[in-house]
Amino acid sequence: MSAELRVTPFFGCMISMKLPQFEAAVRRTVDKLGVELVDLEGFACCPDPLYYKTRDKMTWLILAARNLCVAEDAGLDIVTCCSGCTATLSEARAMLTEDEALCAEVNGKLKAIGREFKGTIQVKHIATLIREEIGLEKVRDSVTHPLTDLKVAIHYGCHLLKPSHIMQVDDPDHPTILEELIRAVGATPLNHEEKLLCCGKACNDPDLPPKMLLEVMRSVNKLDVHCMALICPTCFDSFDFGQIKLKRMFDEEFHIPVVYYFQLLALAQGIAPAEVGLHWHKIKTDNILEVVGAENA
Amino acid sequence: MTEKGLESAEKIRKLVGGSSYSYCYQCGACVGDCPAARHSAEFSPRKIIMMTMLGLEDELLTPDSIIWDCTNCYNCYERCPQDIHPIEVIIALKNLATRRGAVPDSYQRMTKVIHEQAASTSMTPTMERRRKELDLPDLYPPPLHEIRRLLEEV
Repeated sequence: MSAELRVTPFFGCMISMKLPQFEAAVRRTVDKLGVELVDLEGFACCPDPLYYKTRDKMTWLILAARNLCVAEDAGLDIVTCCSGCTATLSEARAMLTEDEALCAEVNGKLKAIGREFKGTIQVKHIATLIREEIGLEKVRDSVTHPLTDLKVAIHYGCHLLKPSHIMQVDDPDHPTILEELIRAVGATPLNHEEKLLCCGKACNDPDLPPKMLLEVMRSVNKLDVHCMALICPTCFDSFDFGQIKLKRMFDEEFHIPVVYYFQLLALAQGIAPAEVGLHWHKIKTDNILEVVGAENA
Repeated sequence: MTEKGLESAEKIRKLVGGSSYSYCYQCGACVGDCPAARHSAEFSPRKIIMMTMLGLEDELLTPDSIIWDCTNCYNCYERCPQDIHPIEVIIALKNLATRRGAVPDSYQRMTKVIHEQAASTSMTPTMERRRKELDLPDLYPPPLHEIRRLLEEV
């Protein structure tokens, strides 16, 4: 398929270096949606919107602006695949666009490396790009092996949706984007009670994240689902490995496979599970393959 | 409010980029929808804002302060009827704490990694192998020279 849309992917540190199967899933699936991913040299850590931003917001903004400049110089919009990178790059772009004095101050620093933020490109999470620019129709058309019997609990996490005046994806209290994306691959999305709850990764008190995690897993467990699907590597890490931690801490056992949306899209497009690394997940994904395999037979 | 309190408040306003937090009328909408407050007996965005308004934020600027338990989820940002963006005030307080060196170790470690590698994590042989197995392109070398040059500027 010839490319109809050229963008530069910003996979971020966590996906590139800890969850490369997510990168593979995005690269393989969007290729079938008419999107050309142009890899650019020069990107660094977004930088991370929690530890780094809260340490020194000005330095965070300058380093984020530098990443935006790399894409601007190539004249390509950035597509993010991680909610953290989305948060940093979208917020930095909004701050620099809305505040001229701040933008001048940042550009004063960027001069040292011969760069300047001009505000000429957009930042979009890949899920948003698919719904807004590629269109769900094209996703449905790319599906050769619809995941008909698969029931999926969706989890939004925080930074795809909020702050909503910057992200402008959906109503942050009543989002539908992930439901729509899941339906497009032929599966059935189910809303669990805590689908909007934070995974808790950021809290410094070690008691808090497991409590939040437990609440999410109990909420998912009330539904009759085959897996949980999400679009954020931090949520993924919290819920996949997290289920093993919960067993140790609370002696409560869950076996709910967790997948990145694009891994499901890959299966629906007939891509082999190993090509998107489903066998590397801590919670085994065999039940998904059984359901899908039965459909595919 | 003490003179010192006013001085600190002025510093925070500069960090946030506005003085909107003084519009807080302590309604508690931020608390009701805060996942950290739901699970912690101590954490409360309303309390943090109140202490800041009163110039008592010094007590919050320690490595084991409740400010570090914020989940960064932005629910308070969405909920606040006064648009004071409690999370931004919390971030400003963390910035102030950092200037005093009153930061949890995890934050120090992450900063060091980002400054040394221009990435928040390191590549491992296992992940190198997985990238090859998945037929993914080689990663570009990190732009360390540019990051270092910018860090000299700030």
